[in-house]
Amino acid sequence: MSEPELQPEIERDSEWQRLDPRMLLVHPIRELVRFLPGLVLLVLAGSAAGGETWQLAFVAVPVLLGLVRYLTTRFRIGDGRIELQRGLLNRHVLSTPVDRVRTVDLTSSPVHRVLGLTTVRIGTGTAATDEDGLDLDGLPVARARELRAELLRAGPASPAVPGATTPPAPEPPVVEFDPAWLRYAPLTGSGVVIAAAAFGAASQLLNSVGGWDRLDPDRLDAPSLSLGVLVVVVLLVALVVVSLLAVGGYVVTNWGFRLTRVPGSGDWHLTRGLFTTRETTLDVDRVAGVGLSEPLGLRLARGARLSAIVTGLDRKQAGSSLLVPPAPRGVAERVADVVLGTRAPATGPLVPHGPRAVRRRWTRALLPALVPVAAAVVAVALGAPSWVLVSVVLLPIAAALAADRSRSLGHALVDGHLASRSGSLVRRRRVLAVEHVIGWNLRATWWQRRAGLTTLVATTAGGSQAVEVLDVPEDEAVRVAHEAMPQLLAQFVRDGSVVGQGGGAPLR
Amino acid sequence: MWVTSSVVESTVVFAVLVVLAVWIDLFDLPWWVWVLLVAADVVYTAVVPQWRYLVHRWEVTDTAVYTQTGWWARERRIAPMSRIQTVDLVEGAVARLFGLATVTVTTASAAGALEIAGLDRDVARRLVDDLTVKADAVEGDAT
Repeated sequence: MSEPELQPEIERDSEWQRLDPRMLLVHPIRELVRFLPGLVLLVLAGSAAGGETWQLAFVAVPVLLGLVRYLTTRFRIGDGRIELQRGLLNRHVLSTPVDRVRTVDLTSSPVHRVLGLTTVRIGTGTAATDEDGLDLDGLPVARARELRAELLRAGPASPAVPGATTPPAPEPPVVEFDPAWLRYAPLTGSGVVIAAAAFGAASQLLNSVGGWDRLDPDRLDAPSLSLGVLVVVVLLVALVVVSLLAVGGYVVTNWGFRLTRVPGSGDWHLTRGLFTTRETTLDVDRVAGVGLSEPLGLRLARGARLSAIVTGLDRKQAGSSLLVPPAPRGVAERVADVVLGTRAPATGPLVPHGPRAVRRRWTRALLPALVPVAAAVVAVALGAPSWVLVSVVLLPIAAALAADRSRSLGHALVDGHLASRSGSLVRRRRVLAVEHVIGWNLRATWWQRRAGLTTLVATTAGGSQAVEVLDVPEDEAVRVAHEAMPQLLAQFVRDGSVVGQGGGAPLR
Repeated sequence: MWVTSSVVESTVVFAVLVVLAVWIDLFDLPWWVWVLLVAADVVYTAVVPQWRYLVHRWEVTDTAVYTQTGWWARERRIAPMSRIQTVDLVEGAVARLFGLATVTVTTASAAGALEIAGLDRDVARRLVDDLTVKADAVEGDAT
């Protein structure tokens, strides 16, 4: 892949071609791993039955499958379309216009990396399942990078740069992985998730071997410890294990994290991963905004996580749009400013939502807490044991929650971006460029209408599909939406509020 | 239409409850709970559809579509004509009975679909044609 002429790249691709022959090594290995439990069973059963070795022939099955897969998969790029053909019995032909390509991901598993290969995943922004994804599994890394450059250049969003055959000097990375970030890993929920998954798998394994029955609590000899000490020890061990798992998970996914700007087009380029490396390129015109999220643990440690709101990528593909893994908040905010190209929306001050919104936060937090407390008080009055009154601690917790939630509530419309922040346990600040807003929803329940509040929702085609501004005063909501898109809202605004003409209005 | 729908809805809910209670003996409710349930159902069918009808509004201009729906949680949605992706016309079983139809206007965002329910069928057809022409006239890929 070292030929100097890059120009006929597209032409050469317009012929049907196979993936890299080295995939002949990857596929059998992968199939072998997948078939391993079955194979082991077969061999065990076989040797128990008489020790014949014909069972080894089954090893050939996965190898053959890999070969067939290689021979039946072909792709071509021509006439402005990418086409992928695969399958022997069920033949799939996938085809998509080049100018609809939104992201190009390169993922390399360890096996791929040993062989210098990578998987090119072409994202077009549909709700494609794994089965329908445009995956070119197994291209040499250099070739894959060329292909990516070609595909993204062919898109309408990034006009062809004249003289791009001589790439300008790469710009310094916007953000690079810092081992010190590891200290934020235990503060996110990921450790608990990994631990739960591991525990689930382990208990299932134990179950299938019949281990639970043998784990008789009476036979465990820990009689010298009292119950309280035991509980504390178990909790501490669990905490350490969960933290270690979280750090491990963080390292595996985010090691070598690097965010750079592609020279020339200005697209964003992400690299991360310890074993399986992942390279994502985000089309700069499709980055609609960013989301800064601070779960409580992270927030207490002044950390944050930043992701991009990318048109055509929804929440399920969140991995592709992570801009900064849990890291110091300063880093996340700096990156947000760079990505947005302006300082004010991501880090500037926000307009608070006023006393009525604050009151609503308080009632919403306190009322549900009051119910069990009241129930407990009544129960004690009726003769229940007095430890039930412990539930009174719910009240200060609810109050703290309410205070924090009302403090984080805020919005702003600056520099062509709508910014909104809310939440306490997970505080989120979302910033969305106004030109990516594709509609407005104003939602108000009866309670909200009584308080003169409304929830303004700016819909968009990426991320969680919408940016919510919770509980803004009605007139402020209309003002924000109006200011963002003057020509749109004006026709529905009468008397400072949005109204329609009447049910079944005649067509004009 | 909404009256019929809510009658069907509440009858189904009620029937499910009765079946659960009588057949499987799942729970044992005193008689006054049944009275309350029936009363709630009657009020629901009497009030909510009227309320819904009073709230419902829709409007189409040259550049945007606007709807107002809901009864308890009232929602107003605005979509610019340039961002409209598909226009659907659906006639449900109950709606067909009354010669009505529902027009759904979707945008590229999953959170932004506008639904105009209970339109006269002919009005709905004309609206769909109208919207299709108008949305077609605007440039861009609507994202």
